[in-house]
Amino acid sequence: MDLPVIDPPIFPRWIWIEEITYSHIPLATYITACMVLAPVFEYIGWRRRDARYDRLAVGLIWFSLTLFSPGAALGTGIPMWIMGTYPEFWSRWSNLFFWPLMAQFVFFIFEVLFLFLLYYLLWNWSVNHKRLHIFLGAVAAFWGLMVQLVWDAVGGYMLTASRALPGVDEPVAWSPQAFFNPSLPFLFSHRFVGNISWAMMVTGGVLGLRAVGKKPAEDRAYYNWASHLTFTIGLLAFFGMPVIGWFYAQVIGRHAPVAFHAIMGGHQAWMFIAKVALIGVFVAIGGAYVFLRYQSRLLLWGLTAGLGLLWVVLTIHPPLKWLGDSPWVWRGAYTALLAALAALLWGIRGRWSVETKGWKWAMFAAGLASFFAFCIGGMVREGAKNPHTVYGELEKPEALPRERDRFLLYDRCVQCHHRTINEFNRYDHRRTWADILGDANHRSVGKDADERDRLLRYLDRYYR
Amino acid sequence: MSATAIDVPLLGAKWTIGFTGLLHTAVASLSIGLAALVTVLQIVGYRHRDRRYDLLARRMQLVHVCIYNIGTIVAIGLIFSLSGLFPQFWSQLFVHQFWTLIVEEFIFFLLATTVTFHYFFWQKMWGHKKLHIFLGALLTPLFLLQFYLINGIGGFMLTPGYQTGQATVGGLIDGWDRMGFYNPSFLMLTAHRALANVAYGGFTVAALCGIMHYLTHREKVKRYYEDNGRCAFYTGFLCFLGLPIVGYFYAHVLKYEANEAYVNLMWGQGDVVALGMDWWWLKQLLVAGMFGLALGYFRDASKRQGASFALPLVLVWSLALFYLLYYLGMGMIMTWKFFFAMLGVAAAGMLLAGHLVRFHRGSGRALFLLMGALSFLTVMLGGYVREAARPRFVNRYSHYDHVYIPEHRQPVLMVHKRPEDVFTPEELAAAKAPPKGALIQAGGVGQKLLDSAALIRVHCSGCHTLERVKNYRLTDRWSLIVSQMRAYGLKLSNDEARLIVEHLEAARPY
Repeated sequence: MDLPVIDPPIFPRWIWIEEITYSHIPLATYITACMVLAPVFEYIGWRRRDARYDRLAVGLIWFSLTLFSPGAALGTGIPMWIMGTYPEFWSRWSNLFFWPLMAQFVFFIFEVLFLFLLYYLLWNWSVNHKRLHIFLGAVAAFWGLMVQLVWDAVGGYMLTASRALPGVDEPVAWSPQAFFNPSLPFLFSHRFVGNISWAMMVTGGVLGLRAVGKKPAEDRAYYNWASHLTFTIGLLAFFGMPVIGWFYAQVIGRHAPVAFHAIMGGHQAWMFIAKVALIGVFVAIGGAYVFLRYQSRLLLWGLTAGLGLLWVVLTIHPPLKWLGDSPWVWRGAYTALLAALAALLWGIRGRWSVETKGWKWAMFAAGLASFFAFCIGGMVREGAKNPHTVYGELEKPEALPRERDRFLLYDRCVQCHHRTINEFNRYDHRRTWADILGDANHRSVGKDADERDRLLRYLDRYYR
Repeated sequence: MSATAIDVPLLGAKWTIGFTGLLHTAVASLSIGLAALVTVLQIVGYRHRDRRYDLLARRMQLVHVCIYNIGTIVAIGLIFSLSGLFPQFWSQLFVHQFWTLIVEEFIFFLLATTVTFHYFFWQKMWGHKKLHIFLGALLTPLFLLQFYLINGIGGFMLTPGYQTGQATVGGLIDGWDRMGFYNPSFLMLTAHRALANVAYGGFTVAALCGIMHYLTHREKVKRYYEDNGRCAFYTGFLCFLGLPIVGYFYAHVLKYEANEAYVNLMWGQGDVVALGMDWWWLKQLLVAGMFGLALGYFRDASKRQGASFALPLVLVWSLALFYLLYYLGMGMIMTWKFFFAMLGVAAAGMLLAGHLVRFHRGSGRALFLLMGALSFLTVMLGGYVREAARPRFVNRYSHYDHVYIPEHRQPVLMVHKRPEDVFTPEELAAAKAPPKGALIQAGGVGQKLLDSAALIRVHCSGCHTLERVKNYRLTDRWSLIVSQMRAYGLKLSNDEARLIVEHLEAARPY
């Protein structure tokens, strides 16, 4: 590589990029979720002649607009940082995705025009043209989703870069293989549902807290209503995530196996477990809230079915981490937890009021948990492909030998070793790794002397 | 090295960048102008306890918020276009100015947040008006700071201020190039653009008031838009009057630091002439027209009694005279034909202004609209000709392994490497030697210019137009003429004088 790399002070460059990116993504995803839901709320309010929905819709859009400019400005900083700190990666990106990025620019312009000028500013004017106004809001949301689609394609390419891509010296400007990469549909749908889920849970928590401090009874009633509605939508939307996530994981397992193993028991597993723990927190709080707040059996059984779905996904999913020596320990643990939660929820049904300050804070805490689970999800995805920026294509400038060796180990060994990287811990400790690699089963792995040395170096250091 | 590159059908790479860049400039410049005007209107409203000004300020800020977002997005488009279409140039710029761009980005974020809060919390901060005005007033210095940083980069593109070879090999570059940032035209570019942006903002607000004046039927509301339009128009015009003064000095910097660009501008060469038209001259003619229109409006406005914000006529005319003096100075180095054309256009503008105001029964609405459109055009043309004046920066290459040319300089651009670590002493000496023709292009003050054509352009045009040289009839007496000029004060070495005489006697182009 003969491109200069800027070395930023204080933190390593990957931390800078991570922080800059995470300053933009929550704003962008929140805005997208609000853009999608505002026309829906407006439509419901119009059909039911309920002004509260309209107030909620305009409130969401107003808040989105206050975030829009800062979010866009922070977004502009991301390519700047990447160009300076990961120039080779950016060159590859801008070469393969030139036209999608330009299209994204046009979509973004349309998004602003529709969202600002035609949707928000015409809200009062269009009281008598509600259908047209809702349509304009839906169009704004469409352009927002198109922007998201382009970025998901670009992000998906980083983890599951397709085969048979054009050479780096070809000015392709656009590669359908790279754009429509295998993980695009799953990443897009996972993010689409995930954005709605975390954004609405956080909104519900914040609106609940606003209700506490409101003096006029009318305002308090509105904020209570709005917080119940948004929080419940956020919680219910979450139950779509594990299902999509399961398919997404399958694609990652097939097209980026090293990243998959990194998450499922490998070096990123701790982060994924933290994410699952946070999910557990907000599912428990949210579930309790729904069972205390609502009487609808359809909703309660729906939520129970959601827990069942979670159980199914965990059961068919590869284990996140072994608990003890047997997979049955892990399976038993999550089955017991989910069953206990379901029993508890049905047990507390309708017992207490959720209209208390404590519950508003609990909702807010659940919203925060969902937000952090969302953030960790992105970190898991990015960290899993270390030391690569584009899985299997480009390596990070700061890649360490240890990280390269780990990637090699995952790549060469895990495919044959059952289902997770942790199986290395269960090898016969009386034999050396050199012996193990030298036996008949591993001859194909250690053919190359350098490769063999690297594998041994890593195994000796981390699995003895 | 692969010489192929991504291309844009129909439009081409150059025009894609030009179009996107100008669109961004149009919006960004307006943002800067609007920020200043909103503060002026808010202060006037607060001091006079007149809500009309506050209302206008709020509407202007709404326009600002909308165009700000469009400007941001167009900036993103510009970044993508540049990195895809001109990767070599863009990468090179990053090597020099990465930290400048990052700081600029941070200010961009502060600006976006401030402008958003200023508008969206207008009503909520009604009880804290001074704080709200202060928040809005913060925008102008933030914009100017951001603008200051961008001008360092923009100025660098036209007047790098040193020879390229020396700049890259002479020091360790790690995303910040002080010499490149504080380049010779930086100050003039910043001053010129700062004034131009406020003028542009003022004329645009006046134009918007003009449109609203057309659309409304209530007399009271009409008067409101007329007064506000006039206020914005005056603010814009005062800044507009400062432009040729700064422009004059800016041209002088270009003459010595970017001679080729200067020649292209002043004598209509290179990309400045496109589609058979000299766009720089067109811009100057439009400016002259604006000048005439504004003076005509002031002449008419001074006759009316009771109009708000009447500027003292003596101020306007004395500033106008000052303005004219500087254009006279510019005329010295352009052509007299052009100068008189400008005078003619200005006179026509003055007459047209009188007609428009009379036709609309004393309202300046048509004039406001016309001036808004003309200011937009001049901002666009100014940006275009500045970019088109310099020779093409680089060829376009797409291969990411070869973004830097010449390749022998690539290793010193790497982090943690010093030129001494990479090159042998001989290679360093060779790299530091100026590339062929570089002295001519750089033409720095105090440097010996070796190209006779450049010597003529720089030295002769200091006092008169080159047309005067070209039209001189006694062409067999160049030696005598050059001696006369030296006697008048022209500073030339004997070698330079000899080169000039030889060039002129051989009737070679310059």
